[in-house]
Amino acid sequence: MIRTKWLTTLCATFCMATAISGVTQGVAATLRYGGTTPPLTMDPHVTNDFVTAALVRQIYDTVVDLKDDMQIGPGIASEWTYQGNNTWRFKIRDGVKFHDGTPLTVDDVIFSIMRQKGSPLYTALFGGIKEAVKVDDTSVDVISSAPDPILPRKMVRLFVMSQAWAKANNVEKLPDLGAQGTEAYSLRHANGTGPMQLVSQDPGRKTVFARNANYWGPFPGNVTEAIYTPIGAAPTRVAALLSGELDLITDLPIQDIERVKSTPGFHIEQVPQQLAMFLELDGTRDVALDIFDKSGKPLQANPLKDVRVRKAFALAIDSKLIVQRVMRNQAVPLSVGGAYGMDGFQKDLDTGRPYDVQQAKKLLTEAGYPDGFTIQLNCPLERYTNADEICRAVASMLARIGVEVRVKGMVWPEFARMLVNGPSSSFHLIGGAGNSGDIQDTFVSIMATRDKAKGRGGTNWALWTNAEFDAVVDELVQTFDPAKRTELYRKGLTIARDQVHGVYLFQPMLSWGMKDTVNVSARADAAVMLQNVKMK
Amino acid sequence: MLAFLLNRFFHALLVVFVVSILAFILGDVVGDPVASILGLDATPADRLALRTRLHLDDPFVLRYLYYVQNLLHGDLGVSYAAQRPVSALLAERIPATMELAAVALTLSLAIGVPLGVYAAVKRREFFASALMTLSVLGVSLPTFVVGILLIFCFSLGLGWLPSFGRGEVVTIGFWTTGFLTVSGLKSLIMPALSLAIGQIALVARLARAEMLNVLKSDYIRFARARGLKNRTVYFSHALRNTLIPIITVSGIQLGYLVAFAVVVEQVFQWPGMGLLFLQALGQTDLPVISAFLMVAALFFVGINLVVDLLYAVADPRLRIKTLSARS
Repeated sequence: MIRTKWLTTLCATFCMATAISGVTQGVAATLRYGGTTPPLTMDPHVTNDFVTAALVRQIYDTVVDLKDDMQIGPGIASEWTYQGNNTWRFKIRDGVKFHDGTPLTVDDVIFSIMRQKGSPLYTALFGGIKEAVKVDDTSVDVISSAPDPILPRKMVRLFVMSQAWAKANNVEKLPDLGAQGTEAYSLRHANGTGPMQLVSQDPGRKTVFARNANYWGPFPGNVTEAIYTPIGAAPTRVAALLSGELDLITDLPIQDIERVKSTPGFHIEQVPQQLAMFLELDGTRDVALDIFDKSGKPLQANPLKDVRVRKAFALAIDSKLIVQRVMRNQAVPLSVGGAYGMDGFQKDLDTGRPYDVQQAKKLLTEAGYPDGFTIQLNCPLERYTNADEICRAVASMLARIGVEVRVKGMVWPEFARMLVNGPSSSFHLIGGAGNSGDIQDTFVSIMATRDKAKGRGGTNWALWTNAEFDAVVDELVQTFDPAKRTELYRKGLTIARDQVHGVYLFQPMLSWGMKDTVNVSARADAAVMLQNVKMK
Repeated sequence: MLAFLLNRFFHALLVVFVVSILAFILGDVVGDPVASILGLDATPADRLALRTRLHLDDPFVLRYLYYVQNLLHGDLGVSYAAQRPVSALLAERIPATMELAAVALTLSLAIGVPLGVYAAVKRREFFASALMTLSVLGVSLPTFVVGILLIFCFSLGLGWLPSFGRGEVVTIGFWTTGFLTVSGLKSLIMPALSLAIGQIALVARLARAEMLNVLKSDYIRFARARGLKNRTVYFSHALRNTLIPIITVSGIQLGYLVAFAVVVEQVFQWPGMGLLFLQALGQTDLPVISAFLMVAALFFVGINLVVDLLYAVADPRLRIKTLSARS
C-alpha cells in the first residue's frame, strides 16, 4: 500500500505545494460527509448492511431508540412492559407524523413489525415474533413464540414505515430479490418519521437528506441539509476531507489518524466499535481440517478439542502486542467474549489474558504435542482492518510454541462461502458483532452449540461445544430478572474464557475525521446522527 | 470481401461466447451469492429458499442456458445487491466511463502525437531524448499511483480540482454528461489525465518510430529535393502517413482505456462501470459481474471488428486477394 508520507514529500517537490489552501466553508448548516461504501437501498427492511442501516436510521425511527451510548431509550414506543405470556406491550407515542404529513398509527407499527420480520435477513432477530396485535389506538402487543427478555433491545433495529405509503407505492410486501422486472419504489424513496427526510438517493454517488421540520423528538444540532458520498479508496477519502471537500469522514484509516489530528483545523472522534475480533478453534471434529504433523502428513486427530491445547494457544497469543503493533493502539484488547458497549458485558472480568510461552509449551507437551503441529489459519481479507497482518502476527506467535501456522488469506465472499456452506474451517479469524447489542445474542448465535432445532449456534463456525455453557444459555434466554441475568452473563463469560471458546483479541476503534467546525461524537454503531451534528 | 467479413464476424461471436462462459465460471469462483446477500446470520432454510429461487443449485449447463436465453431477450437480470435491473445500472454508469475513456484518448493523441513528431524531427537534441526517457517512466508508472499523486498535488496541495466524483452532470435523454458544467469538467481533468499518461507515452513512442520510418522514405527525399520547406515536408507529407497506424492502434487502445478505467474509477470514486464492477465483485453480485464482462467483451470485439474492416478498406492487397479468390 502506498504510504502517504512519501507521497506528500514527492508532491511537495513536484508542484511546490505550499500549505493547505484556506479551507472553504460551505453553508454552515450543510454537512457533506463520506464513508467507504454506498447505502444499498433506502428500504430499511431488505438489508442488514450496517452502513445502510446507519444512514437509514436518519430517516426511519425505530420502535425503541438506540442512544449514542448504545443504551436503549424511548423511540416510537414511549414505554414498554412485559405482560407475561410471551407478550410485550409497547405504548406508541402520540403526535408523530410521517414525512408526508400523515400521522403515525399503531397499524403502521404493526405493519412494520410484520414486514421486517418477514425478511430472511432478520430471522435471527425477529424470527421469534409470532404476531403483533393492536390493543387500542395507543398500544400494541408483540407476542413471541417463547419468552423473550431482550425483545425491547432487539426493537432498536425495527424501523417504522408508513403502511399507507407502502401500499400506495406497491411495496407493501418486501421487494422480491432476484425477481425479474422493475425496481421497487422503496429502494430510492422513503417515508419515515425520523429527524431527516430523504431528498434524493443516487445509488453509488450520493444520498441527500433534509431536516424534518416536524420531527417529534429533540434536534439539538443545526444541520438543515446533509449529503453523504461513498469514497471507496482510503487515500482519496482522506484527501477529500483535508482539501475541504468533505466536512466529515467515517472509516478514517489507522495510518492517517495522526495526520488528520496534526493538521490544523481538523480533529478526530473515536469510540470502540461493537465488534470483537477473535480466533475460533474447532471444538467438535475428531479430525481437524487442514492439520498436519511436522513431517507434513495429515494429522488424524483434532488437538484443538483438547482444552490444554486451546489454553496453550491462548497463552501464546499476545493480544496486547497485536493491538500495539498491528493496530497501532487503535483497538482495545479483549480477554472475554462480547465487547465494550454491549448489554451484559462484564468489564471487571476483562482482566487481560496472561502471556506465557513456557506455560503454553508445557501444556502442549502434556497434551501430547511436544513438537507442536502444523495448522491452516483461514483469514478473511479486506473485511476487517489489517486482518492479514493480524493473522501473520498470530502465526509468528504460535511458531514460538512449535505450532506452525499456514495463513490462508481469502477475500470475504470466498471466506463467507466457506463458513455458511460448511462450516469448513478448523481455525480462523473472525469478528463478532452483537446483533441487537446484548451479549445474549453473542451467547445464542456465536458460542452455543450448533443446534438447528433450537436456533442456536447459527454463527458458531468452529463448532465449539460445552454443555455447561449451553445450560447457562437455556436459562438466560428466559430470565427477566436483571440481577439473575447478570449472574448468568458472568457465569457464561467465565466458562467461555476458562474453556477457551476462542482466543479473544481486541475490539477495534472506530475513527471519524472532521473539521473543527463540525461537532459530533462517534457512535459504536457507526451512525452519524445528523440531528446531533453542530456546525459552526 | 464477404468471406473476410463473415470470417471476422464469426471470430467475434466466438470470443463473445467464450467470454460469456468465462464470466459464468468466474461467478462460481468468486464466492457464494447467497452468503453475500443474506450475510452470516440467516437460517439454513432461508438460504436454501433463496438458492432455489435464484436457480443456484441447478446444473451448470442449465443455468448457463437460462442466462443465454435471458441475454438474447436483452434481459441482463437483476442485481442482487442493488436490487435493480442490471441494464438500468449499466445504462447509468456507461456514460461516465465512456466520457472518461474518450477524453483520455483525445488527450493521449493531442499530446502524444506532437511529442512524438518533435522527438523524431529533433532526434539529436537533448530535450527530445529526455522526452523519450520520460516516456518510459510514463509507461511504467501504475495508473493508481499517478492518480493518487495528482490528488495530492491538485486537490490537497493546491485545492484546484475535486478529488472525487463526477461533479454536476446534465442529463440529455438517456445520457448523462459532465461536459456541460464547470464542476463536471474540473472533475474530469485528473481521472482522464491519470488514465491518459501511459497512453500519451505510448502514442509518443509510436509516433516517433513511425515518423522516423517515413522520413527515411524516398518521397520525403524527393520532397526535400524539390526544395520544399521543412515545415511542409514534416506536416503535409510525413505526418499524414504517420497517422494511419497511430489511429489504428488508438482504436484498440480505447478498449484498454475502458478496461484500465476500473482502477482510475476506484481511485477517484468515478461513478462508472468499473466502480460498479469492483463493488459487484465484493458482493458476489453475479448478474452485474457477468454483465460487465459481457459488455467489456462486446466493446473490445466491436472495436476490433471495425478496425479489421477498416484494414480491409485501407489495404488494397486484402481486397485484391479476396477478389482473386472469388474469381
